[in-house]
Parts: sequence; C-alpha cells; structure tokens
Amino acid sequence: MRFLGTAALALNRIWATKVRSMLTMLGVVIGVAAIVALTSIVDGASQGINKSLATLGTNQLNITAMDPDALTELDANALAELENVSVMFVQSQNEGTIATGDTRVNARLVGVSSKYFQAVKPEIALGSYLSSSSFAQTAKDVVFGADAANDVGLTADMLGETVKLNGQDFRLVGVLDDQAGFGTSGRVYVTLDSARKLFSQYPYVSSIVIQANTPEQVDALQLTADSLLRERYGLGADTDARYTITNQASLIAAVSSITDTLGLLLTGIAAISLIVGGIGIMNIMLVSVRERTREIGVRRAIGAKQSNILTQFLIEAIVLSLAGGVIGLILGEIAAFFLAILGDWVFAIKLDTVVLALGFSLLVGVVFGVWPARTAAKLEPIDALRFE
Amino acid sequence: MANEVVRLDKVRRDYLVGDQVTTALDGVDLVIERGEFVAIVGPSGSGKSTMMNLIGCLDRPSAGTVLISGDPTNELSDNELTSLRSKAIGFVFQQFQLLPNTTAIENVMAPLLYQGISSKQAKKSASQMLTKLGLGDRLNFDRNRLSGGQQQRVAIARALVTSPDIVLADEPTGALDSKTGAAVIDLLKDLHREGRTIVLITHDLEIAASAPRRVFLRDGQIERDERGIR
Ligand SMILES: Nc1ncnc2c1ncn2[C@@H]1O[C@H](COP(=O)(O)OP(=O)(O)OP(=O)(O)O)[C@@H](O)[C@H]1O
Ligand SMILES: [Mg+2]
Repeated sequence: MRFLGTAALALNRIWATKVRSMLTMLGVVIGVAAIVALTSIVDGASQGINKSLATLGTNQLNITAMDPDALTELDANALAELENVSVMFVQSQNEGTIATGDTRVNARLVGVSSKYFQAVKPEIALGSYLSSSSFAQTAKDVVFGADAANDVGLTADMLGETVKLNGQDFRLVGVLDDQAGFGTSGRVYVTLDSARKLFSQYPYVSSIVIQANTPEQVDALQLTADSLLRERYGLGADTDARYTITNQASLIAAVSSITDTLGLLLTGIAAISLIVGGIGIMNIMLVSVRERTREIGVRRAIGAKQSNILTQFLIEAIVLSLAGGVIGLILGEIAAFFLAILGDWVFAIKLDTVVLALGFSLLVGVVFGVWPARTAAKLEPIDALRFE
Repeated sequence: MANEVVRLDKVRRDYLVGDQVTTALDGVDLVIERGEFVAIVGPSGSGKSTMMNLIGCLDRPSAGTVLISGDPTNELSDNELTSLRSKAIGFVFQQFQLLPNTTAIENVMAPLLYQGISSKQAKKSASQMLTKLGLGDRLNFDRNRLSGGQQQRVAIARALVTSPDIVLADEPTGALDSKTGAAVIDLLKDLHREGRTIVLITHDLEIAASAPRRVFLRDGQIERDERGIR
C-alpha cells in the first residue's frame, strides 16, 4: 500500500475515535503548552532585565570603591584624560533619611556629577533632571527615584517644595519613572557638592563611571583604566585593588546566562510532562493494538505486510502526538500573550519555539509509537485472527 | 503439474499448549486442482481450520510441505508469504471480519491497495465486484448498516477482487440463517461455474453433499476423499 493510503487509515481511525484521541493527546498538549508558556516567561523576564541593564549603557565601565576611601574625585579627573573616554560621571552614595512633613524614611542618597543624567537618561515622570543651575554651588535640588517618592508620599503638587534630606532642606525638582531603570527606584539624587555637605566625605566617591566611545573599545578601556589606577595607588599588577571595575556588557552576559539556565531548567520540567504525555500515547496505543488484534489479523490475511501494519500504527501515534503539539503550541502562545500583557513585556511568536514544540512532539510520537507499532506488526496473522 | 493449485505433502501441525502437544493435522496429503470446488468436512476439532490456515499461508506446518502452484513455501520469509497470500489466496471467514470504521467499498479496495494498486483503479475494480455481487447500492455502507448476508457478500467480494488462484471459505454460513446461508452457497457455486477454485469448509453434511468433491477429516487425518455429485 502506498504511504498516503496508510496515512489515510491512521487518520480515519483517529477521526473515528475522536474523544479518545483527544484524551490521548492531552498529555502532549499540556506538556507543549507548558514549554511554550514557560519559555515565554523566561524570555520576557530576561527581556525586562536586559532592557534595564541596557539603560545603563553597554559601553560603560563601573569603577566601584570597595572601601569608603578607595576612590577620589582626583582619580576621576585622571581617568577623564584617557583616550576614547567620552562621558564620565561620578557618584557617591550613602544611607540617609528623607522626610516630608511628618513622614520620614531611610533611603539611599546619591550624589552625582553633572554628566550623570545626560549619560544615563533615566525616564522622568514629573519635573526635570538636576539642571546645570542645580549644579551651581549654592543650589540644593533633589530628584527622587519612584519608590523613594512613594515611600515618603510625594505628590505631583509638591514639585518645587522643600523636602528634608538628613535634616537639610532641599528643593524637589523631579521624580523618576518606575521604569527608569535598574536600581534607580529606591534612590534620591543630589549634586556631588550637596552630597559632600550631607556626608562630609570630600574627596572620596563611591563610584566612577566611564564610557568608551564605542562598545568595541570597552575591554581595552577597562585595561588602561585599571593600569592607570594601579599606577596612581602604586599597586603591582598582582596586588588586590580596593576597587572593582565592572563591565556592563559582561554583567548583561552574566544575567542572560542565569536566565538561560533558568529557562533550561523550566523547559526540562516541562519536557518531563511531555514525556509523561508520550507514555500516555504509548499506553493507549498498546491498548489499541490489543483491541484491534483481529483487525490486524484480517489485514495480514488480505495482504498487509508487517511494514504496512507498522507504518499504520506509527503514523497514528505520530499524528496524535503532533496534533497534541499543535494544540499545545496554540494554547501555550495564547497563555504567553496574556502573560506578556501581565508582565508588561513584548509578545512575539518565536520561530525556534514553534520548531522546538513541533519537533519535540514529533519525536515523542516516534519514540513512544515505535513499541506499540512493532508489537502490532509482529503479531502472527493466525494468532491475531483467532484472538477473542 | 500445471493445473495444480495447492499440494499438501505429508503436512503435520502440532500445537504446543503448556507442555501438552495437540496434533491438529497428522500427515495429510492433498492436491487441489484449478477450477475445483472442494468441501472439507469433519466434526469440530478435526483440523479443518488448521488445514485452511496452512493452505492460505497464514500458518506454517510443523512438518511436511505446502506447495502453491507447484512452489514449496517452507523457505519463504514473512514478506514473501504475504505477497503470495495477496496474489494467490482469497479468504472468507465465518464472522465476516469486515474492517472496522470502513465502508463496503473500502473493504473491497483494501487487498488491492496492499498490492500497490492506485486508489482510483482499486475503487473501480471494487465497485464492479460489489455490483456484480448485488451490492451496487451499498458501496458506502459500513458494517453496522449491512445485514449478515450482505456483510458476507462484501467479504466474498473482498476475497475475489484480486482474482486469487483459490478462494478459502471457513464456515461462511456459520453465522447466517439457513436461507441466507443457502444464498451464499449458491453464490460460491456460481463463482465455481465461472471457473474459480473454491475450498469450502463446513461441518454441515447437507451443504457438503452438494459439492463435487468432498474431503472428510477426522482427528487430523483424511478419512475419505470423494468425487462426483451423489
Ligand atoms: N492455536 C491453537 N493452539 C492450540 N491448539 C489449537 C490451536 N488451533 C487449533 N488447535 C487445536 O487443534 C485441533 C484442530 O482445531 P481446528 O480449529 O483446526 O478444528 P476445526 O476442525 O476447525 O473445528 P471447528 O469445526 O470447531 O472449527 C483442536 O483440537 C484445537 O483445539
Ligand atoms: Mg474451524
């Protein structure tokens, strides 16, 4: 019999036993839907994290002090002289208190140099960034991160009003958006000069951020910046420094390797349910072979070869599994669509998800269909015909 | 011999159940020639079905040789036996054994499709055969909507459609009332008159008596082999 004829027999049987076929494929449906939905969650989450990290700039290097007196503004000035450094800002941060009226909470007070906002460009919800007049010596202006603003109960009409940082009066000029980027939310930004007045820590700073002109120059800049600082502090190449230099690109890589591992783990769990689905198909197919023993005997008597029987049952298992895969894919993508709305990330049907889902369900059909199909094919015609 | 369709040469078939051996056929010699109508008669358990399965290449003898059109079948592989069966043998079973979820015409097409014939050609031959057997208006009925007699006629059409060398019918009237049964026997006789070779297994002596040749089995051996209408 030609292949299409055999395929038609398999489809005919699946159609003739619709309800049972649906139940048989349920395991694969759930397995595939789970894989698709979970992959989309991991993708969406890492999308969000990467977006936050990317707002910090992929060609940036963060030089962070490990001790309060490890880095100074003078280091920053020296770094600014290096080649290929386009933007640079300095920040110093400390725990402090913020207060409006009776409300008083703890927050991280961050002093930034004038280039900070222009370099990081955090999204602003109300008011404006610290302006150049804010950086004039006398002005004491402040920009709140979203959570810090919430904690202290800021409202839109308080722009321009006075808030207290560590007991000192500051003028509120802006509030950042809660999507402004990784780590901005709980912070309160003032000028570096104001920070000095708050903490009297001149000339020490907690971090210096330098930016290479192009992403390709980042690694080289990291080396030259490190050797410059070592030279300034008289450190040999092997001595431990009291600062660390982190590369945003490598941070993104590290985060994406974490999300990849997480994705693999979740997919692994979902794959187990797919295997369980495959075992379900195998089970029903074995029952089906038993029930249809006579039919198999008759087919053998009227000229079906072992290979015809094998193909018929194998196609049946594969079609069940693949149909389960298609339904699971559709349900999974629908779930992913709603999850994307909930999690506020971009929904996209990815080709590799489709290929993975269908590929796996095909594989499950083959793997778990072979045994029942072989059992059917190996039946002796005479025993099959006599079977009650 | 050119006209010989089946030859059983000292054929023996033992069944092993547990540690007990049942000899269902015990050294049977039999020759069936082209165009013969042979009734195989005998009490229950005498080995009739065993013999039919061996002639039909559904089963292999424990000893002895089954020859189809002069060719021994002992050494044939499962695939070769299947093609031989597909070409040379047509089966009619007591319980009709129509395929499930399948219409009359699909049943009759199946043996042709297994031979690799195109679906279009198979459909044409199957519908001609069913029409010839008076089922031209039942082509697309499945077995649930056919009477026993109609189902058996579909089964006979399925056995004939490949133009086999021999048609084997094991108790084809066993599941039918006597009137319908008689009609099926008449149909087989008509086919015999057209030149088909037919082996009819029955324990009904009256039906057997109407066959030109009667082979009587008892305890796995041929007791008598009679020819001629009595
Ligand atoms: N598959 C089998 N396994 C074991 N014993 C079998 C098998 N098939 C047949 N036999 C035995 O072989 C003997 C002949 O059986 P067979 O089916 O050929 O008889 P029969 O003449 O067709 O009987 P009936 O008229 O009842 O159909 C019986 O004793 C039976 O029990
Ligand atoms: Mg019998």
